[in-house]
Amino acid sequence: MISETDRRARTWISVSIVVFVAAALLLPFVGPTRLDYHNVWRRQDPDWSIVSHLRLSRTLLALIGGGALAVAGSLFQSMLRDALATPYTLGVSTGASLGAVISIALNWHVAVGIGGVWAGAFVGAAFVLLIVMSAARRERQLSVSGLLLAGIAINSVCGALILLVHGLTGMSQSFAISRWLIGGLDAIEFSTLGLYAAIVGPLTVAVIAQARQWNLLAVGEAWAATRGASVSRSLVKGYLAGSVLAAATVALTGPIGFVGLVVPHLLRSRLGGDDRIVMPCAFFFGGVLLASCDALGRVLLAPAEVPAGAITAFIGGPHLVWLVRRGTLR
Amino acid sequence: MSDPIVSVRDISWRAGTTAVLDRIRLDVRPGEFVAVMGRNGAGKSTLLDIIAGLRAPTTGDVLLDSRALSEQPSHERARLVAHLPQTIRTDLSIRAEALVLMGRYVHATGWFESADDRAIAAEAMRRCHCVQFRDRIVSTLSGGERQRVLLAACFAQRPRVLLLDEPATFLDLDQQLECFTLLREEAGQGMACLAVTHDVNLAAAFCSRLIVLAERSVAFDVDAATALESPEWLHAISPRLDVHPAPNGRRWVGYR
Repeated sequence: MISETDRRARTWISVSIVVFVAAALLLPFVGPTRLDYHNVWRRQDPDWSIVSHLRLSRTLLALIGGGALAVAGSLFQSMLRDALATPYTLGVSTGASLGAVISIALNWHVAVGIGGVWAGAFVGAAFVLLIVMSAARRERQLSVSGLLLAGIAINSVCGALILLVHGLTGMSQSFAISRWLIGGLDAIEFSTLGLYAAIVGPLTVAVIAQARQWNLLAVGEAWAATRGASVSRSLVKGYLAGSVLAAATVALTGPIGFVGLVVPHLLRSRLGGDDRIVMPCAFFFGGVLLASCDALGRVLLAPAEVPAGAITAFIGGPHLVWLVRRGTLR
Repeated sequence: MSDPIVSVRDISWRAGTTAVLDRIRLDVRPGEFVAVMGRNGAGKSTLLDIIAGLRAPTTGDVLLDSRALSEQPSHERARLVAHLPQTIRTDLSIRAEALVLMGRYVHATGWFESADDRAIAAEAMRRCHCVQFRDRIVSTLSGGERQRVLLAACFAQRPRVLLLDEPATFLDLDQQLECFTLLREEAGQGMACLAVTHDVNLAAAFCSRLIVLAERSVAFDVDAATALESPEWLHAISPRLDVHPAPNGRRWVGYR
């Protein structure tokens, strides 16, 4: 016998997977250059490599990145029981940005075998995580308001440092930094994409697999503990997982934060608060949202490109305000 | 007499430099329904939290089923003890039934709860008079309705000890009576119940044992059946309380 929840979950998750796959197949064909489909079909350049290389890698990056940010967002919202908790409000993403900006400014292209920007982003995120968590730790417990306050404080410090670094660098780095800070997607090497997917994929699965614990934590820490969850361990694991998801993504895409806030809220207003349904849907729909915004950005003002981060904000922001206004969001 | 299922051994708890509980000793056996009473700040909730494993005592330990609480991981503890919190966040966007099903967390192994889990949850909701709220979103329930759903979640957990932090809060008078009747039934079937309450009449009528916390320790520990014959314990709660004969021949606590 299948319960009602079960059936709803299956329907929504299946729909989100279908949309995700459809986006992966179709969105690479959207772009400013008019494609000759015969050439694509016969694998002839330049059309074939535009689709298979430039646009496909970029679309996949958007799909996975949007998914990772949306999952990290729903994770933080459940763990902290706060509508505003995202990798952004907790400072993790800005920390990652600072790290990335410093590596661009210092011209570190390669550090310890991986991209310098990537390494910088990870170090920055880890550093912020450490500061925020130690600031909010009292009597072996993490305080939610402490985390948010410390996160917002660190956020503005990192923001100021980014401006400072930006101001001190020469012309070419300064241009690269501004370009990166706008938060756009770009074609990337498939090897980098593979590494990224190898980090994000298993981590997302691990986070979603713990959805029952996030559900308990969303009610309250005492509630979770007395229902049998190991609260402190889950919280530490959740922070690490959410921060790695955010940092890895920010390193490749620049700061496109809005997906992590808007997607979980939209889904919760439709699906209710069960993370077993919300989190998988957040991954697939989050990816689709970012990839569609990126595709839209490619054609909207062609040949100029509107960064995907800007489009997500343009669409998601008003929608979120509208939902709040209508009272569907609490 | 059966062995105690909860054995509080010389528990002390301090908040900073203020001692809240000082060397508390207390044994609770299966089948007992204990009312924990006392003034605000007497440490009632703290005591319940310590037994539930939510706070570590400054000194001392609690034995649950003859095993030290500190040595039991939370998933083992949750099979023994369920805790009804004073309140939870009110803006939850999940269905009432989902909240009750959370009581099955340690028992359920699958990604979704099994048909058995759902049957147990449905039975718990029926007993707590909240089946009709099953598909309501928790944030739309009134305080008393929510309280009944929370109690159902504790029942669905199928524990051997129930810790209830003011179970009658928000409940209307009829539901308060229903709630205490239900808890007395549970105790009759071998559950050990500890309920924090301020209602001395409910406690004296339904509980089997009354405990009054005062001056950081157990000031009174009396048998409920004879409690109203020697009312000194009442004065530890308020000097304005007195026992009066009720029209039906029983005694009840009145105010001065």
